Amino acid sequence: MIARREQVLAHVVLGAFAALALWPVAKILLLALGDPGNFATAWEDGHFATYLRSSAIVTVSVVAIATFVSILAGYAFGQMRFRGGTALFYVFLLGLMVPLEATIVPLYYDLRDVGLTDTYWALILPQAGISTAFGTFWMRAFFRSVPRSLVEAARLDGSSSWVTLWRVILPLGRPAVLTMVVLVFMWTWNEFLLALVMVSDEGLRTAPLGLAFFQGRNTSDEALLAAGSVIVATPVVLVYLVLQRHFIRGMLSGAVKG
Amino acid sequence: MSSVAFREVSKRYGTVEAVRSLTLEVADGELMVLVGPSGSGKTTALRMLAGLEAVDGGAIEIGGRVVNAVAPRERDVAMVFQDYALYPQMTVRDNMAFGLRRRRLDRAEISRRVTETCRTLGLEDLLDRRPRELSGGQQQRVALGRALVREPSVLLMDEPLSNLDAQLRVQARSEIRRLQHEVGTTTVYVTHDQVEALTLGDRIAVMNEGRLEQVGTPEELYDEPANVFVGGFIGSPPMSFLPWDGATIGVRPEHVRPWRDGLMGPIEGRVAYVEALGRETLVGVDTESGARLVTAVEGRARMEVGEPLRLGLVESGIRRFDG
Repeated sequence: MIARREQVLAHVVLGAFAALALWPVAKILLLALGDPGNFATAWEDGHFATYLRSSAIVTVSVVAIATFVSILAGYAFGQMRFRGGTALFYVFLLGLMVPLEATIVPLYYDLRDVGLTDTYWALILPQAGISTAFGTFWMRAFFRSVPRSLVEAARLDGSSSWVTLWRVILPLGRPAVLTMVVLVFMWTWNEFLLALVMVSDEGLRTAPLGLAFFQGRNTSDEALLAAGSVIVATPVVLVYLVLQRHFIRGMLSGAVKG
Repeated sequence: MSSVAFREVSKRYGTVEAVRSLTLEVADGELMVLVGPSGSGKTTALRMLAGLEAVDGGAIEIGGRVVNAVAPRERDVAMVFQDYALYPQMTVRDNMAFGLRRRRLDRAEISRRVTETCRTLGLEDLLDRRPRELSGGQQQRVALGRALVREPSVLLMDEPLSNLDAQLRVQARSEIRRLQHEVGTTTVYVTHDQVEALTLGDRIAVMNEGRLEQVGTPEELYDEPANVFVGGFIGSPPMSFLPWDGATIGVRPEHVRPWRDGLMGPIEGRVAYVEALGRETLVGVDTESGARLVTAVEGRARMEVGEPLRLGLVESGIRRFDG
């Protein structure tokens, strides 16, 4: 009986918090779907085609670079012993600890000096760097969890480090890699400050930045704003839905198991 | 096939000397068992031979060539790991073919070798399964197959049977023995189990605290242990030791008998424990000198703990250890 009562109580509490979290989302969806014409209007007026294209270019590039580099760096830190390895890893961790707000001003001047502001590179390179800090940390945890004997068996079987990584170990790390991809995709897609500071050309604006400008122009039409928000949020939701099975597996195992 | 030699090989981890000046030769085609308690350096020696650990001093030779600086994949050795280390995402077939593909053998040859090895090991029906779909015994055979299919110069085995249950272990042991005789590959086999060592090895090297205590055939180690450590490690139950004329003597249970004329003794003692094993009964006897003797009695022994006993030793079975 007690177990049953506890279960009911747990469900009530969880349900209440879920409702609290979902309420704004539901409200936006209801507002936006009130008139399907909202989406067409928002799409046209808000130039979301341009913004989504920019976001896609930046996000796909960041995810590709960060994933590739994180796998290599995580492999080195997780499986290889080399002088200064631990110290170097802490340097990588700094990238996780220092907030972007602290570095954005000097970063702006640096990128301006090399002529990269107002280009996609100003959005891609810094975010690839930040995501690599997290990705290396994440992938190192996975590589450390791989039994040493597996790597040694591959070495004795005649594999180079490169072949061992791609053919033997990484296939086991699919949940870890896909979880990293979802997280980096989400963070990059939703990134706002960097886009605000680095680009002024409207053609380079990313979706969240475009949405902010769109909101500025349409403060009174809530339904239209809601439609714009849904348009911007949809890609992240889709990526999450497609990869969610792996994502949850990766999160649960903390990337420590293949 | 190749001979193997350790020449004054040493290995340190910080202040710990894992292997101390190990000198050992393994003949072409021989099955050499390295046996010893944990921390004796046997696995470290094996890993140095594989190239998985660097050698700090001395030289390791395979087929007469010093391989200290040769990469593992160029040593032409194959290894069966304690946890098998099968590639989880690959089928049995791919697990076995992986090393051959890395060596760029042509497809027909790879297929021929995999098929043949699987037939020898009875793995034909498992070719398309993945490791997690196999039992422990099957995984062990696949691991062995993956090593044998390479036709290496030297086969290394690191406690390959320790994850099997007792019955399967006995089966696998005789299978390994048979296969090794058939293919005739020089083999170095590491175990902490002296019964495994005695039943498998052409010769056995007993290691302790990084040192080689004795190397010899199973009979030599059993009958003529070089020191107290070897006598106490080899044999189940091990040798009993007792002080005698200022030295230490060692005696096996079968050489401890009830007292009669013609034996060494008599030795007075009391029964400390009785272990009925069915075919024989082991009786532990605490002697007046404080040493414990173990004697084996055929069949069942009607003895009580604390009961006084008078024993004698068969002189030809005595080993004398000085110092």
